[in-house]
Amino acid sequence: MADSTDAGEEALRRLMATYQPSFLAPNPALSETARAASRHLFSALRPFCPKSPLDQLLVDGFDAEQIWQQIDLQSQPLLSSLRRQVKHFAKNPKEISQLKVVPLGKKVEKEQEEWMEESDGFDEELEDDEEGEEKGEEEEGMEIEDEAEEQGGESGSEEESEEEDEEENGEDGEAGGGGIEDKFLKIDELTKYLEKEEENFENAEKDMRGKKDDEEDTEEEDDDDDDEEEEESDEDAEFGFADEDEEAEDMENARYEDFFGAKKGKYSKQKKAQLRQDSESSDDEDDDMEFKKQNKGTASTHQKQLEKIQSKIEQMEKANLEPKTWTMQGEVTAAKRPKNSALEVDLDFEHNVRPAPVITEEVTASIEDMIKKRITEGHFNDVQRAPKLPSKAPREVKELDDNKSKQGLAEIYEQEYVQKEDPTSAPLSFKDEQKQQASVLFKKLGLKLDALAHFSFAPKPVIEDMSVQINVPALAMEEIAPVAVSDAAMLAPEEVFDGKGDIKEETELTKEERKRRRANKKRKFKAAAVKKTGKKVQEVHCLTK
Amino acid sequence: MQSNMPLSSMEVEAAPSEAKLLPPKPKFEPLKAHEMSDGQVQFRKVSVPQHRYNPLKKAWMDIYTPIYEQMKIDIRMNLKARKVELKTRPDTPDISNLQKCADFVHAFMMGFDIIDAIALLRMDELYVESFEIKDVKTLRGDHLSRAIGRLSGKGGKTKFAIENATKTRIVIADTKIHILGSFANIKIARDSLCSLIMGSPAGKVYSKLRAVTARLAERF
Repeated sequence: MADSTDAGEEALRRLMATYQPSFLAPNPALSETARAASRHLFSALRPFCPKSPLDQLLVDGFDAEQIWQQIDLQSQPLLSSLRRQVKHFAKNPKEISQLKVVPLGKKVEKEQEEWMEESDGFDEELEDDEEGEEKGEEEEGMEIEDEAEEQGGESGSEEESEEEDEEENGEDGEAGGGGIEDKFLKIDELTKYLEKEEENFENAEKDMRGKKDDEEDTEEEDDDDDDEEEEESDEDAEFGFADEDEEAEDMENARYEDFFGAKKGKYSKQKKAQLRQDSESSDDEDDDMEFKKQNKGTASTHQKQLEKIQSKIEQMEKANLEPKTWTMQGEVTAAKRPKNSALEVDLDFEHNVRPAPVITEEVTASIEDMIKKRITEGHFNDVQRAPKLPSKAPREVKELDDNKSKQGLAEIYEQEYVQKEDPTSAPLSFKDEQKQQASVLFKKLGLKLDALAHFSFAPKPVIEDMSVQINVPALAMEEIAPVAVSDAAMLAPEEVFDGKGDIKEETELTKEERKRRRANKKRKFKAAAVKKTGKKVQEVHCLTK
Repeated sequence: MQSNMPLSSMEVEAAPSEAKLLPPKPKFEPLKAHEMSDGQVQFRKVSVPQHRYNPLKKAWMDIYTPIYEQMKIDIRMNLKARKVELKTRPDTPDISNLQKCADFVHAFMMGFDIIDAIALLRMDELYVESFEIKDVKTLRGDHLSRAIGRLSGKGGKTKFAIENATKTRIVIADTKIHILGSFANIKIARDSLCSLIMGSPAGKVYSKLRAVTARLAERF
């Protein structure tokens, strides 16, 4: 056992002494030492937890996760027991003084051991995680920090304050959880702070009791979250609850400088220089994230804004480096963009076509009204036939005369000759004759129509026409009767018709009369025929003779 | 010999040397009808068909007067032989007169009117062309009758239309067709008549006639 303890302490010391970056590379020797150290610590803490099922930390052939679980198995009840003890001490402050009899260093050592155990546990996990995944030291530091917070969250305010220091230690990243003595964490300062806290506890017991329970519960719930802000806020809230107003204000206004006393700028630069040496670009990002988290711990609103802008800028720079989406590129053919992607994007292009009208009842009613109005007005948009322009003068169509020509052939040729010789003496063509006849007819008709109307009276045109009129009276007296009255009406019946005897209608005739009429007709016809062919008969007679 | 001599004197000198060889160019008057054929009289005899006998009788004086008075041709009717005889007189100016008169009488015998036939006497370039329907197309029976009917038209209007359009005179005597007029006009009339015989409707013939006559008129 002594050997083992010695070996364990040896292992611890060796871990402390190792060059930090060597933890990044998988190193079996280091892992062995780490395991040994954690086993030592485990066994050191074993007497404090009676209920622990494990007597010894089993490390041979075990996974990091398994080792951690074992540690957790032991530490969980241990922590709860510690809490109970703290509560007990809070109730009975006298016992604290009794405890105080025990040298503080021992207690501190205990705590430190605890701390070491935890941190070693973190170390191991760190190394084992290195084997499993590629994580930066800082990330591990992050984890350590988180885990410290988790565990710290369960513990009392003292331990919380310790853990705050622990966090800061973890943020450092340099220690990797292994270094207790640091420029940040100094044991003397720690002891002073602890005393101060104890005084605070004595003063505000009741408040602590009441509110701590609630906060512990919330913190337990938040254990699973890696949200520092929540925990920080919880811590801040706790601080606010725990302390008096002044202290609360002080704690609220606690700044980085209060704890570390060094400027952020320097620190961050130092840190960054170190980090860049060691890590890759992804690690840088992690560093940045760490920095942010670090800063957020004591950040003002302006700084927060700056951080936001910074993150935005980084995002935009990243986007600029990447190739643009197809919507941002210039001319994109269908082959260059994913299938059916144009459907999802809201494309904007000019529509040169008027959109189709939506047919509603009002629209139809208006159209129908217009139709009715147009019909009543008689105003239609009929297509008018375009007037055909005369391309050339209409050729004079020569009318063919069907009648026997009155002139002999000789006369025709004579006329033609005369026309050729003297073009002016053109005879009246057949067309002109027709025209003349038509004009005469129309004049007659016009006169009759005017007479009917009597409005636009025109006197009878003088047509010089020699004709024998039978029924004209010897004396022509001026008649006052209107022109429309025909001459037949003027005349007396005897003047109109001079016939003899009894004039019978066609239907009135008897059969004999009809026969007689026919016989008369025949006789007349025969006589006329004889007259016509009289000469012929005579000639025939002559010839035959 | 001497270059100074004028041309005329040279000609004069040359002329008498050749004068004896060539006599002066004689100038003859055209022969009179009588003098032709060694002073014998020229005859033309035109037979008279049965159906033209009476019309001839009626129009005898119209025939006789222009022939005797203006053409200076003797004309007489030989009743026994049923022929019209024409003879030149001593004072007949031109031998063509006789032929013209013969043609005139012949045209009358074909069926043309006097007033139309007279044109033959007055104009030189008028001719008479005759052809038969069967020369154009062989038609029998009703077809023939219909063809004849087509040629004349209702009341003769188609025939008159052709006559008026082409300045000709047409005589349709059963199956014989005689056309009197100038050469080009006869051609047009003949084409129209042939198309009618072949069967084209009158309207078509009219339209063709119109086009042709318009073209003819434009030419002058």
